[in-house]
Amino acid sequence: MKVAIVGCGQFADAHIQEVRRIPGATVVAVCDLNPHMAEQAATRLQVPGRYTDLSNMLDEARPDVVHVTTPPASHLAIGRMLAARGVHAYIEKPFTSTLAEAEELVDLAMRAGVLLCVGHSYAFDSAFLRLREQHAAGALGDVVDVQASMGYNLAGPFGAAMMGDPTHWVHQLPGGLPHNNISHPVSLVMPFLVDEHPAVVSRGMRLRRERYHDIRDAFFDELRVTIAGARTTASIRFTCAARPVQLFCTVTGSAAQATASLDGRSLHLTTGAPLPGPFARVQWTYRAHQQTRRELWRHVKGLAQARLHFFEGLHELVSRFYLAIDGRGEMPIPMPEAVRAARLIEQIFSACQATGATS
Amino acid sequence: MTDATGGRLLVTGATGFLGRRQVRRLLDGGWSVRALLRPGTDPASVPEWAEDLASGRLEVAHASFSDAGQLRSALDGIRVVLHLAASKSGSAAAQVANTVVGSEQLYQASLAAGTSRFVLVSSFGVIGASQVARGGLIDEQVPMEAQAERRDPYSFAKHRQEALAWKYHRERGLPLVVVRPGAVFGPGGSIMGPRIGLRLFGLFLHLGGGCTLPLTYVDNCADAIVQAGVVPGIEGETFCVVDDDLPTSRQVLRRYRREVAPIGFVPVPFFALRQLAGVNEWYSAKTSNHLPAVFTPYKVDAMWKGHRYSNAKAKARLQWSPRIPMDDAIGIALRALAASSGGRHGA
Repeated sequence: MKVAIVGCGQFADAHIQEVRRIPGATVVAVCDLNPHMAEQAATRLQVPGRYTDLSNMLDEARPDVVHVTTPPASHLAIGRMLAARGVHAYIEKPFTSTLAEAEELVDLAMRAGVLLCVGHSYAFDSAFLRLREQHAAGALGDVVDVQASMGYNLAGPFGAAMMGDPTHWVHQLPGGLPHNNISHPVSLVMPFLVDEHPAVVSRGMRLRRERYHDIRDAFFDELRVTIAGARTTASIRFTCAARPVQLFCTVTGSAAQATASLDGRSLHLTTGAPLPGPFARVQWTYRAHQQTRRELWRHVKGLAQARLHFFEGLHELVSRFYLAIDGRGEMPIPMPEAVRAARLIEQIFSACQATGATS
Repeated sequence: MTDATGGRLLVTGATGFLGRRQVRRLLDGGWSVRALLRPGTDPASVPEWAEDLASGRLEVAHASFSDAGQLRSALDGIRVVLHLAASKSGSAAAQVANTVVGSEQLYQASLAAGTSRFVLVSSFGVIGASQVARGGLIDEQVPMEAQAERRDPYSFAKHRQEALAWKYHRERGLPLVVVRPGAVFGPGGSIMGPRIGLRLFGLFLHLGGGCTLPLTYVDNCADAIVQAGVVPGIEGETFCVVDDDLPTSRQVLRRYRREVAPIGFVPVPFFALRQLAGVNEWYSAKTSNHLPAVFTPYKVDAMWKGHRYSNAKAKARLQWSPRIPMDDAIGIALRALAASSGGRHGA
């Protein structure tokens, strides 16, 4: 599998490193409009081809699949060119800036007979995959409610860069910073929401101090979303204020509750305690303790065996995508799911804007 | 007083550790200054500028390095640019985006504005120190790093920034002077940098042993940069800036323990550090970056092999000498550390 990367920002490193862990996959080229960005990625990561023109890269490096790690406003144009050349694409989140672009992109790919994979990589982290296995095995019963929470550090490397530049592409997204990140919790609740058009209520707040008097002061730094399907509800929290910064998902079912921590890469199942009275308190805590011990042991073994790579979810998703391209597996995220996620995201931000809710 | 060519000096990175002192040294020296700030940065965040802003000796221009129009306005009437701004943290890609891509816009805008001097404040990190023998001399004669990608992201980005500046000098006539400061220290910028050691799992690992530290006190460094901006006839030259009477890592650690906090430490000799770095590099490669190769023998050679440093060219050609003696400078820095931590400062 010959792989190329378009967009040599900081996340390109993770793609190149994870692709290289997949047997049979080779990164043949990188491309960026800025020659310095293409050069730095090619030199540091020892990629043979470097380009500033996507068309030239496709002609000369002839990749089978291109990972698109450019800002989302460019995804449709790039995807159009890739589809026209018959090249498969892994497209980083957010899939596109708007629902209309997502629909057009998937339509183009389907008509061209190429595969598109949306970069919902946290949904392929082992903790979340184990949660889904528990659900598939019936351990949770019928899903009643799903909660996904994502924390964000505005002072982190990406946050600081974005806040330092009013022309940063994040500020051009319809929903600003939360728009760039909401794909993560959305991708965690979506497998449990079967409704095509759930009701969405969304409220945004700005808890940070107004500082710049420009577009950087505009985005919501807190978002609370309630999604109501026919039989299942979901809630999404995006927060820049809460600490510790973490991403987790809790699924409450008719039989049990499970929480996957994407930071701890751990899964905790809550099944209750059947013992009577005060014994239940002991049993409840004991069961939690047993699970914590099992998770600890899993991670100790993972550390010893060098299996705790940071971008495990990306690796798993890309591996499955490549198998699908080879015809040896199903698409890990069917293409219509990218449109469904884009629809939900658009609902979230249009609902949020409609309420006009700010602190 | 204005600069040698009769205009204001533009300082980028003016709110940074070195930048603030740079602006102060210029103002104290009688020059008129324009500080380039990012859009949205409030000059009131630097209280010591208030009087100079009111008097007009200090101006502020807001510009993003990605906005050519804003840069053009910021450079209006400027003859000398002192380019201090650089990204100091984040991924290599992010640092290149900020430091290299941004600088190129400034190089182009400076050429268009007809500036007569462009001083790039580079770094010792761009020097190919790994290739210099133990005990060898680091000065302007040592070639630039041939494999900057094997160093840290900061050194990599600074290498690309300086290399690009030289390209603009050769091909487009950018009136370039490069200043490469050693480790800049002073109040607000800890002297206890990685050349001395680092904290790991609650321990302070003393990595520097008896190595000489290429230190320059922030005010002395700022003086050298001023000279690089105004001394005539030095376009196309590079200057390494370190102070006189450079101490060893061990001497600074000893003073820190005596004057700031009696921290415990574990000395890591050079040969052991190099072996550990080899293991780190091997493990990282073997496990597809399960742990990043923070230490590699290449980096260890550049930082802790034990070199000597020269400021002879800077003293001769820039007519500069460190005004604050090293012993006093270390004392000032350590007192500031002690004051900021109430005597309980951890390295």
